[in-house]
Amino acid sequence: MTDSGLPKKSSGYTSQILRDTFSRWGAKLGLFWIGVLVFCAVFAPLLANSHPLILSQNGQWQSPMMQFMTPNDVIIFSLFLITAILLRISWSLRHKIVTGLGLLFVVTTLSIIFVTPPELTIYEQYRDNQSAEKYDWVIRAPIPYSPKDYLRDEGDTGLEAPLSSPERTHWLGTEANGADVLSRMIHASRIALGIGFIATGIAMFIGIIIGGLMGYFSRWVDMIGMRLVEVFEAVPTLFLLLIFVAFFDRSLYIMMVIIGVTGWSGYARYIRAEFLRLRQQEFVQAAIACDLPLKSILFRHMLPNGIAPILVAASFGVASAILAEATLSFLGLGLVDDPSWGQMLNQAVQASTFNWWMAAFPGGAIFLTVFAYNLIGESLRDAIDPHLNKS
Amino acid sequence: MLLQVKNLKTYLKSGGETVKAVDGVSFHIDRGETFCLVGESGSGKSITALSVIQLLPQGISSHPEGQILFDYRHDDGQVENVDMVSLAESHKQMIRGSRIAMIFQEPMTSLNPVFTVGDQVIEALQQHYPEMSDADARARTIEAFKQVKIPNAEQRIDEYPHRLSGGQRQRVMIAMAMACEPDLLIADEPTTALDVTVQAEILRLMKDLQQRCGTSILFITHDFGVVSQMADRLAVMSQGKMVECGTLKEVIKVPKHEYTRQLLAALPENLPRSKKQQLASDSDQKSLLDVSGLKVHFPIKKGVLRRTVDYVRAVDEIDLKIPEGQILALVGESGCGKSTFGRALLRLINSTGGEVNFDGQVLTGLSRKQMRPFRRQMQIIFQDPMSSLNPRLTIASTLTEPMKVHGIGSSNEERLEIARKTMMHVQLDPEYIWRYPHEFSGGQRQRIGIARALVLEPRFIVCDEITSALDVSVQADILKLLLDIRKERNLTLLFITHNIGVVEYVSDEMAVMYKGKIVERGLTSDVCKQPQHEYTQQLLAAVPRLDI
Repeated sequence: MTDSGLPKKSSGYTSQILRDTFSRWGAKLGLFWIGVLVFCAVFAPLLANSHPLILSQNGQWQSPMMQFMTPNDVIIFSLFLITAILLRISWSLRHKIVTGLGLLFVVTTLSIIFVTPPELTIYEQYRDNQSAEKYDWVIRAPIPYSPKDYLRDEGDTGLEAPLSSPERTHWLGTEANGADVLSRMIHASRIALGIGFIATGIAMFIGIIIGGLMGYFSRWVDMIGMRLVEVFEAVPTLFLLLIFVAFFDRSLYIMMVIIGVTGWSGYARYIRAEFLRLRQQEFVQAAIACDLPLKSILFRHMLPNGIAPILVAASFGVASAILAEATLSFLGLGLVDDPSWGQMLNQAVQASTFNWWMAAFPGGAIFLTVFAYNLIGESLRDAIDPHLNKS
Repeated sequence: MLLQVKNLKTYLKSGGETVKAVDGVSFHIDRGETFCLVGESGSGKSITALSVIQLLPQGISSHPEGQILFDYRHDDGQVENVDMVSLAESHKQMIRGSRIAMIFQEPMTSLNPVFTVGDQVIEALQQHYPEMSDADARARTIEAFKQVKIPNAEQRIDEYPHRLSGGQRQRVMIAMAMACEPDLLIADEPTTALDVTVQAEILRLMKDLQQRCGTSILFITHDFGVVSQMADRLAVMSQGKMVECGTLKEVIKVPKHEYTRQLLAALPENLPRSKKQQLASDSDQKSLLDVSGLKVHFPIKKGVLRRTVDYVRAVDEIDLKIPEGQILALVGESGCGKSTFGRALLRLINSTGGEVNFDGQVLTGLSRKQMRPFRRQMQIIFQDPMSSLNPRLTIASTLTEPMKVHGIGSSNEERLEIARKTMMHVQLDPEYIWRYPHEFSGGQRQRIGIARALVLEPRFIVCDEITSALDVSVQADILKLLLDIRKERNLTLLFITHNIGVVEYVSDEMAVMYKGKIVERGLTSDVCKQPQHEYTQQLLAAVPRLDI
């Protein structure tokens, strides 16, 4: 009777959760801000650049912007393209990830070998040429200053409040060395996004493997694993970072690795609890009864069903990784020359006066980014919470 | 007439859709009678009850039509006929609890674990009799506990819920509901979560209380056995509509509506029996599975050093032989170790001692690799169709992955073909293999669970309560399917269940399990007719039967 009805076709669990999450206004707001950041990060060379996008000299077209592209610019841009294209194609998730990673590897290798920007960068040459009217016409970026363009041609500039100089427009002012703040902020969004995603990615990877093994095997594996988790929870990340920065180069990658390597314990705990629960589920028991290989049981049958709480933790983790980097930069131990929000904050109080624009804008960006990730995490948590779902 | 429901409609909103949960239901309940609402899951019987007591969340439910007329007896004895639908919320609250009380299905969750059971009853009492002193309320609560036959009521009143068994918690719930002497008691599947022996006691208690206090009962259940014990009159519901209503004898003996007839015919005791092969009890038949002295003990650890102080003897030295091609039913109440036993056979749980012998080969102590050929021959089907399929995998991958591991079929296409054939075998459309589990109903999922066990072409299957989460009509289909498949493939089954009706229908032999031990074993017909062991006698006597 009731058995014979046609099964109702409905969308999968993942898309349902995503729809649920992003129908909440908090998540929408968060996603909007992250979208703005991604846009800035990907198109940074087009948005803020001292080199003109295209110019024509004696009837010859050239693009200094392209000439001065770094391998990083190319990699980030192609990563964006690959992701955008893969999201459109309807392949299985595994297929997409493998293809994406493969393509990314190829692009990275190629761009490291073939993309070679001139070693000496003279930012002011185009400005000088332009004012000397050597070009037929020039198309410049909306913000015609590179993040490391310290306006040497203008003499000793230094900190300037927004729109205070009559001859140049700096929407958000300039920083201590005279570089445009808005330009630096746009380029710094790469670091904020990169450190968040990669550090959290590393932490999740380690956490899932260790937590998964603990939850599945329990007994003594669990015992050892939990002690390991406790050891890592006792390590203060910030101080470890300080030590590493003191001993080694100030590299963004080392920072990512350290934040990742010390941050996995939370994910391991979550995954362990999920696996302990899933282990008793009947479909896992059935998989064991069919003698499926351990790899399949762990990663095909258990992980997709236990991943949701990890994603919630991850969105908060991204926020805290960004904060860690900002803290380090604020303490003056971040990257040396490359722009970063925390380092700009540092300059707000370094001079004898309080430079409000150096505090307000980078600080606001950090606040909004962390807030955005927290909003998304919050909505994701609500969406997967079965108690809230019923009402 | 105490309660009169006229053309009641209850619509529920969920995600933009409106579900007609109750669609034009009319019935009445007289003083002192028991009225049963029977139906399968999703038929709207619980929603009807919740509408009567007006406990549905107001945001998502609405009553576009209908009246619920209730004789509201004021404290001064004056009776007023009120319509529960249109009554003010403050009045509804006065009626709820004091004039209409309700008990729920799950005694484990319906009591608050941080208060003593006595406090919870006293609170309910003082809510409705604010002038009652603490001492009076306590005395009255003890009295109520005595009425529901809780032993040592004076001491038990200060216990926390976790210290009471399921049956006793349900007694506390009844005591709480009856404490204010309501005119109408709504019982929503109050015995479904309980074992049969406990169920029998609770049902007896309810009848007892009803006779003493003259309360009317609106009893909701899916179990016709319970209905035939409790009901004066009953109504059968299907898809929000009432298809038949009448006295117990009328409906059970001469059901008028097609649906009622189908429902009654689907009861295991009414299913047409296929002729069972007459088998000699054990000795001369070659046994496929031979268990001797199997033990599964779980250590109880205590203290700082987690020293093992004692063991929970879940399975305690069980000897059992299952002849090839037979169905052996393992019967017992919850917690007797029957599921643990089934899983220990397949080595999903490691046994503490004893031997499992499958087709002449000792399985206990085999390594994972040595176990592999036997895994293929021994499969299991689970109780809960919701959790027994991986929600993230299509049916195709659920079915083909085990085949691949065991080297059945040389290519993916061939395996998919086998999967399609198996789907047809369990009477499902072969093209459903591209769907995900959540798109299927409970019965369909259980068929897929059977298909998953069958693709490996096993010789022995453990069926662990496979029909207890299903409606009777679906249960009947699944049981028939299982019997057909067993005949075709000459399967040997261990059928674990607590439902005696199912045992009688399906099994050749049965074994009764009690506290980790097998207390009685024999041909099903013999055991059911002449139970030897005291526990078996109790168990069989407690089963509510449909006597026609």
